[in-house]
Amino acid sequence: MTNAFVGPAPRHARTTAPHVRLAVTALALVAASALYGQLHAIASGLTYSILGLSPGSRFGLAVEFFLFEVPKVILLLTAVVFVVGMLRSFFTPERARQLLAGRREASGNVLGALLGVATPFCSCSAVPLFIGFVTAGVPLGVTFSFLIAAPMVNEVALVLLFGLFGWKIAAIYLGTGLGIAILAGWTIGRLKLERHVEPWVWEIQSRSVNAAIRKSWPDRISEGRAAVREIVGKVWIYVVVGIAVGAGIHGYVPTNFMASFMGRDAWWAVPLAVLLGVPMYANAAGIIPVVQALLGKGAALGTVLAFMMSVTALSFPEMIILRKVLRPRLIAAFVAIVAAGILVVGYLFNTIL
Amino acid sequence: MRIEVLGPGCTRCKETYRVVRQVVEEAELEAEVVKDESVERMMALGLMATPGVAIDGRVVLAGHIPGADEVRHLLGVS
Repeated sequence: MTNAFVGPAPRHARTTAPHVRLAVTALALVAASALYGQLHAIASGLTYSILGLSPGSRFGLAVEFFLFEVPKVILLLTAVVFVVGMLRSFFTPERARQLLAGRREASGNVLGALLGVATPFCSCSAVPLFIGFVTAGVPLGVTFSFLIAAPMVNEVALVLLFGLFGWKIAAIYLGTGLGIAILAGWTIGRLKLERHVEPWVWEIQSRSVNAAIRKSWPDRISEGRAAVREIVGKVWIYVVVGIAVGAGIHGYVPTNFMASFMGRDAWWAVPLAVLLGVPMYANAAGIIPVVQALLGKGAALGTVLAFMMSVTALSFPEMIILRKVLRPRLIAAFVAIVAAGILVVGYLFNTIL
Repeated sequence: MRIEVLGPGCTRCKETYRVVRQVVEEAELEAEVVKDESVERMMALGLMATPGVAIDGRVVLAGHIPGADEVRHLLGVS
């Protein structure tokens, strides 16, 4: 599609000076952290004094949970997305490619997965990234380590896990997610699947040196703000709906209700969780609060982790995008290997915890 | 000036195209704004993160939706 356009339309451009925006950003961060500490008091005050709900009632508990968790998660998400957005301006796919080109396997897979986490990535740029990597000599398996880690270990999932489950589970998710990306990429590399990449990919002339975009600190701050606008602007509604459903579950679903079909004794729970996670992609932010509530009702942690990983790493839309450059057999191998990794993590945690 | 907005046609690229056009319109720039969705063009420019913006064949923005201020800065509009 090509749209050409030469433009008039008189209106004055409004530009804010960088130091003003910096001051506003800093002020917002201070205000947010002050508010964060008071959330519990505000939430219970609102629920019991202002709304007049009786303490200890089911409805009161659900409302208090909702009023506390929504601002908490949104504040945390905004702060982390801003900081991560700023830090990520130091990492570009071009730099990752330079670091990974010609790497050996194993160490390349580890570095690929780590760079996948650090580098900003959107599944809609999976195709140019894939072509750019493999044509510049990044091994196929290393490219996959990058492509698996990038969506799975992302800041939104980590913030929600941290906010709702605590740092231990967030850390377990980070560690096992990286592990799966490294091992799955390494396996794909070992299987020598290069011939299942669409042949036209290898014929594309990709320019290896990109005119480096120079960034100043105000640029990085505006990238952080852009990330907040883009990510928080998109996921907040899922967070609100997810926490509302979670609040309902907290208040009304009997304890141990989930134990029968999401508990650790149900062997089929982990594969089912993986299967259910595949078509859910954009809703990851809404699913975590629901899943957290289910965990409180007897669902097993391994099952929950497997579900989370499947939601983020095995997304159906991304497979369709990758179909442009990968033949079906390679996609099937990718899905099977990643799914196997997720299953192992799920069963492992159901067994040891 | 020839401004290219690059991306596979996802909503982020459309939004970037909208912002760029709006800035060009407001500043009354003599510029041609083009939206290109081909992977070949992205590769020729060395672009791996979308959405991307290139001015006269040079990539100036990659990987995020710019705000209007950022586009003004890139285009040298105050």
